[in-house]
Amino acid sequence: MRANRMGMAALLWLLLQSAALAAESGTALKADAIRAEPFGDAKQVATLATGDKVEILQKDGGWLQVKSTKGKGWVRMLSIRKGDAKKGSGEAAGLLALTSGRAGTGKVVATTGIRGLNEEELKAARFDAKELRLAESYAVKKADAHNFAAQGKLVARPFDYLPDVQ
Amino acid sequence: MKTLMKWVSVIGVLFFVLDAAALDFGELRDKLKAELPVNPKLVEAAKELKGPDETEEIAIGRQIAGNLLGAAPLVKDSKLQKYVNQIGEWVASQSERPDLPWHFGVIQSNDVNAFAAPGGYIFVTLGLYRLLQDEAELAGVLGHEIGHVIRKHHLKLLQQSKLVDLGGKALAKEVGGNDKAQKLIGSGAEIVARGLDKDAEFEADRLGVVLATRAGYDAFGLPGVLQQIGHIAGDESSVALLFKTHPLPDDRLAKLDSAMGDRFDRVKGLTVSSRFYRPKP
Repeated sequence: MRANRMGMAALLWLLLQSAALAAESGTALKADAIRAEPFGDAKQVATLATGDKVEILQKDGGWLQVKSTKGKGWVRMLSIRKGDAKKGSGEAAGLLALTSGRAGTGKVVATTGIRGLNEEELKAARFDAKELRLAESYAVKKADAHNFAAQGKLVARPFDYLPDVQ
Repeated sequence: MKTLMKWVSVIGVLFFVLDAAALDFGELRDKLKAELPVNPKLVEAAKELKGPDETEEIAIGRQIAGNLLGAAPLVKDSKLQKYVNQIGEWVASQSERPDLPWHFGVIQSNDVNAFAAPGGYIFVTLGLYRLLQDEAELAGVLGHEIGHVIRKHHLKLLQQSKLVDLGGKALAKEVGGNDKAQKLIGSGAEIVARGLDKDAEFEADRLGVVLATRAGYDAFGLPGVLQQIGHIAGDESSVALLFKTHPLPDDRLAKLDSAMGDRFDRVKGLTVSSRFYRPKP
């Protein structure tokens, strides 16, 4: 009986481990090329069809390296829907959040005791002058923000706004 | 009838121009005055479209921000607050309104959401902040909210709902609550619980991606966050308000995909993950 229980615990532990180690999965939202490198003009090695399942290996900018039955290579990030859980399944979403290292989503919310923000609360909210002054005290001067950006090796560059594509 | 059609088309053009670019309104009005017979109704309509001036805009936003903080105070972590202001100010300085007094904050709520009020007050919930993986994702989220401010989406909503008194006198910045501003925004911070139209959200997504890109970040920060939010089941209470007031993440991602296309192929940016500030659990 006792051995049985320990066996169950070990099994559970193994299951949790494998869930934590499993690579993130995804589904192709549309047909798209799998390329040898993360560039639009890189050699095409295969083609994904809508609904194809993939295993996500890593990310580079707007590209995901994936493994699928069609082949291994790089696909545009926005052509892939991460995860294969069905919407509306809270448990699966929680597990996904866990496996992707993004704990703090899902069911955790209900247990921490910090309230959410619903319409009624927002409507009933009273002006908090002290808190607002505190918020305003954290304002950063433009020159400081530029320095901070430079420390992060960020360089500003021109880029046109995107047109609205219907 | 013909004259009526002419005016309808003139007003149509006016709307289009206003929507398409931040064109100086006074200049346009002068042009119309010079080129067309003066129609007092049109001039009046033009004044309505222009809305409150910047001082009024900031006073309205400040009131909304104070109310929102009344519902959810700041996370008491000054390093975190300073950090989001550094990033926010840098991203905002890439916009056409770099000189607004921008303010950013992380508020104590496990909801996944972010709020923008006119005049440059922007707040992210701790619940959303904890989903972020790197600085580029934070820049994308702040960029989306900055987009709402620079295109005055909430001000336009207030104007549409006739809450803003358009002929009103300037609203002085006061230390405490501003009664006049409060009258304009309805009850508490309800304005932030009211959804904008879907197109305003899609537009803010496009603006957010571009502002983060201009700031040197990986353009795919905001899409990454949206993919992550898409994982949260729709029946989770943490996303109830977000999903009620925004199009669903999958729709936003599809719109971003068609707008972004291959335009970012040669634009590599930084994620700056090494210094990304993670608040204590």
